[in-house]
Amino acid sequence: MTSETAMNFPLLSLLLWLPLGGVLLCLIFRKSVESCRLLALATNLLVLAIGLGIAFTADAGSGGWLIYEDYSWIEQFGIHYTLGMDGLSLLLVLLTAFLQVIAVLISWRIDYHPVFFFSLILMLGTAFIGVFLALDLILFYLFWELMLIPMFALIGIWGLERRVYAAVKFFLFTLSGSLLMLLAMIGLYLLHGEQTGVYTFALESLKQTELSLTQELIFYLCFMAAFAVKVPLFPFHAWLPDAHQQAPGAGSVDLAGLLLKTGVYGIIRFAFPLFPRAAEMSLPVLAILALFGLFYAAAVAYQQPDIKRLVAYSSVSHLGFVVLGLAAWNQTAWEGSMLLMINHGVTSAAMFVMLALVRQRTGSNEISKLGGLWQSQPNLSAFFLLFSFASLGLPGLANFAGEILILVGTFASKPLWASIAVVGVLMAAIYMLRLVQSVIWGPCCEPFEKQDLVTREWLVLIPLALLVIWLGCYPQPLLDPIREPVTLLLQQGGLP
Amino acid sequence: MVQLLALIILLPLSGGVINACFGRRLARPFPAVIASGAVIGSFLASLGVLPEAQAGLRTVLFTWMSSGSFQADVGLLFDPLAAAMVVMVTGVASLIHIYAAGYMEEERDHARFFALLNLFVFAMLTIILADNLLLMFLGWEGVGFCSYGLIGFWYRKTENADAGRKAFVVTRVGDLFFTIAVLWLFALLGTIGIEEINSRVLELDPTTVTILALLLLGGACGKSAQLPLMSWLPDAMAGPTPVSALIHAATMVTAGVYLLCRMFPLVSLSPIAMAAITLVGTLTALYAATCALAQREIKRVLAFSTMSQVGYMFMAVGLGSVSAAIFHLLTHAFFKALLFMGAGCLIHLAGHENDIFQMGGMRKYSKPVFWLFIAGLFCLAGAPLTGGFFSKDLILASAYAKGDVFHWAIYGLGILTALFTSFYSFRLAYLVFAGEYRGEGHPHGLPRLMVWTLPPLALFGLGGGLLNLPHLFGGHFWLSGWLGREDLPHVSHHSEYLLIGTAVAVFLLGWLFAHLRYRKYSEPSRNSIGEFLLSAWKVDAFYDRLLVRPFNLFCRFCWQGGEEGLINGLLDGLASGSHGWSKSLRTLADGKIPRYLQGFAWGFLLIVGWFLLKAVA
Repeated sequence: MTSETAMNFPLLSLLLWLPLGGVLLCLIFRKSVESCRLLALATNLLVLAIGLGIAFTADAGSGGWLIYEDYSWIEQFGIHYTLGMDGLSLLLVLLTAFLQVIAVLISWRIDYHPVFFFSLILMLGTAFIGVFLALDLILFYLFWELMLIPMFALIGIWGLERRVYAAVKFFLFTLSGSLLMLLAMIGLYLLHGEQTGVYTFALESLKQTELSLTQELIFYLCFMAAFAVKVPLFPFHAWLPDAHQQAPGAGSVDLAGLLLKTGVYGIIRFAFPLFPRAAEMSLPVLAILALFGLFYAAAVAYQQPDIKRLVAYSSVSHLGFVVLGLAAWNQTAWEGSMLLMINHGVTSAAMFVMLALVRQRTGSNEISKLGGLWQSQPNLSAFFLLFSFASLGLPGLANFAGEILILVGTFASKPLWASIAVVGVLMAAIYMLRLVQSVIWGPCCEPFEKQDLVTREWLVLIPLALLVIWLGCYPQPLLDPIREPVTLLLQQGGLP
Repeated sequence: MVQLLALIILLPLSGGVINACFGRRLARPFPAVIASGAVIGSFLASLGVLPEAQAGLRTVLFTWMSSGSFQADVGLLFDPLAAAMVVMVTGVASLIHIYAAGYMEEERDHARFFALLNLFVFAMLTIILADNLLLMFLGWEGVGFCSYGLIGFWYRKTENADAGRKAFVVTRVGDLFFTIAVLWLFALLGTIGIEEINSRVLELDPTTVTILALLLLGGACGKSAQLPLMSWLPDAMAGPTPVSALIHAATMVTAGVYLLCRMFPLVSLSPIAMAAITLVGTLTALYAATCALAQREIKRVLAFSTMSQVGYMFMAVGLGSVSAAIFHLLTHAFFKALLFMGAGCLIHLAGHENDIFQMGGMRKYSKPVFWLFIAGLFCLAGAPLTGGFFSKDLILASAYAKGDVFHWAIYGLGILTALFTSFYSFRLAYLVFAGEYRGEGHPHGLPRLMVWTLPPLALFGLGGGLLNLPHLFGGHFWLSGWLGREDLPHVSHHSEYLLIGTAVAVFLLGWLFAHLRYRKYSEPSRNSIGEFLLSAWKVDAFYDRLLVRPFNLFCRFCWQGGEEGLINGLLDGLASGSHGWSKSLRTLADGKIPRYLQGFAWGFLLIVGWFLLKAVA
């Protein structure tokens, strides 16, 4: 796997650095807001186009990588610049590019330091793509931390009243997790070096390190600290509702759609393959936390007076489903988890887009001040209804496909877990319907902006809606590319 | 043929999608025309494939998802059971769509209505035609969604939207059991195909079969508003009347019966589950009939009567007679759709008045509606020779023919229910039609479309008995034969006369009681029994106390106690703790020279002292 696949053109690097190049251009053209906006849009569209190009042309080469790049970077420490893309990372990169386009489009009218805003959004793009492609631990860590800074700024500068509180909470939570991960990475590096004499941070080599069970458990816990915070797994989720509530629309889209996915991705790409025995021991704990979080977050969501917090808790609940699938540890459940990850990325982003639009029109996030939106905004409300039902798992719409595969897979190995999780689906209906009820039905609360959807908003919502329906009715094109990576990752886990 | 079969479900789907996307831009009659056209087309297509039903037709359109050994196709299965349902659903739906075009004449938001109505028909047909349980589940949830949207159609009133939400959530409780059954069946047999499962049920051990059958029963109870998941149906009457006629009378509420019939080879293997189904059906039938005795709103009377009649169908399934269940399902669909649509006309005539105590003398406002409604009531009450009479009689005969104490008790309860049914039917007739008009509202005319759609339903309701005429009346149980079921009761001619005699007597007795009590109008008497029945045995209050409030408390506890109190409290405590700690540390570095000197002196003393001590020691 370490052998360098001959590539004429570093396509992955292009994909990765393109958004950052956009940032530089933004700085050059910082005088003109218009051009920066267009630049951000064009850059992300280009990333999306390249991603789609790869999706349609690339076929799996050696070791299951579609594209692989490897250069030596800091030789003294054995740090490489290694990027690899398999079906799974391809889908996540596509999701990133797509949601970035959405994020730019919904922040079109932002008026507080727009150039800075769009630069940060672009920077997030590079960070996400880097996380999904990096195969060297240090490189991964670099992008992992790079996500933190723009997001911190987005929440802290463009957020609502309690933005600083939320931003600091987010920062402290994620940083404390990832510092532990960095420690474990260095520890692993040293141990591997002592054993083999080769000091390297390459994921593939480090998988071969021989560890005692105690060492494995300690390292695993450190890695999981970073990932569990990002997922977020109960009880490490407390930063998310605040971050969502305060973040601007685009920030919420990136948070729910992408940032949370990096946690799950980290677990399956790094934590499980590096420490298979510890992972195996932790599965029941993971399952219990996931199940508990699923119910707990749903119950808390049901009580929220703020619509953004409600949807934030619904994310915690859905991610509980994803982790449950991982804990079930079989092909179907894992494919379901990956699928739900993508589907949730789309639906939750769509939900946050809706909430941003609702806020634009009503000036409020509070349930008690909303209602009867259908009366003045039927088109907006129809999309709201569609995305809400996708989120609560209506068959034929996005989330259901992932959930049912998770349930089928989980039932095969752990019938009881699956049966309990089914009840979670009911809870989703209860809190989502409360949201729908309080926003679009009921007596009308006069919105101060009567304008129904404008063209730019149609452009955002129609692709989202089509995607939500397509992913629900025909998820097969997504299941095919993740099949092989999932099989490989399961084998590396080395469990039966 | 296969294309025609696919067309049956694709037409309503495309009608719904077109109306949902563009309906608001279309001029007045077009959404209604598109919707009705789609359903009528679907009806014609189903007639077209009908000859293929005996041979059975199966087709896979595409693979929905496949992962590992799990595969779910979008596949259709057309056999006699499905055929009977498809023809009924598309036929009744066509009439109701046309009726709705008249009913919704003045509604501003009619595009949304027709989009949802068409999507409903699509989802219902998916339930019927699905060849695997997951696709059936798609339809199952789809009808739930459309029902939700249509019950709350007049969303400006919070009660309506709440009724929709209640319907969705309560039926979803049933769906949990359905989901678990599907998951389990896949885990056991490695397939979710309905035919595959049914042909392999003997591989399963009896206990598992019983639990699976009970899980399916749970799912069926939710959708079909049977005990204990019945409380949503009366509230669902908040929706427009065509919706009540289509969804909450003729089609969706019978989906549970259809599910049990579909999975009959599995269900029938377990005597315990069969007894449970019988019992649930019988008790629901009786419960709902008692509730109907005291209702004031015309649609609520009909809602409880629907619940009660669906109870009879469950009873039939539990007694092992699929053909009796389907027979009653068909006749009931016709006459209950007729009754609801008639009720819609009456409400319209009475100036949007729902309360039967505010009606009276409605006979003279529209003669055709009067006769048609009475025809429906006769079917419901089981008047001799109507469709409802034959189908109900077949079910009761099945119970009687079993010949043990349990089934005699079932039969007895069934007869008691029939007595109540006859009584409340005629109570409704007398209160609505007899005497003088008592209402405040101004009666006004009816759109013609609304009346014209009723006669075909009356015809099928009254003549429905011909579908499955017993030998005694010169028939040969045609429907049962066509469905390929040999599940009819064997009773001697003597007992058969006895059963028919009892049924007729019960019908007449109910009529007589109603005649004596309601011939002359009197103010409704207020007594505790009446109140108890009016509130449907106070189940809503009971469930509120038993489930809703504890659930709310639990959620509140999670939020206030767990989230805000424990987790955020801990975090904020940590934050303010370290804040305070660092604050006190900061005073050490506040830039005051004397304090620094003091510190320096103490430190110096300590160090010197330490070395001195060491030197001494």
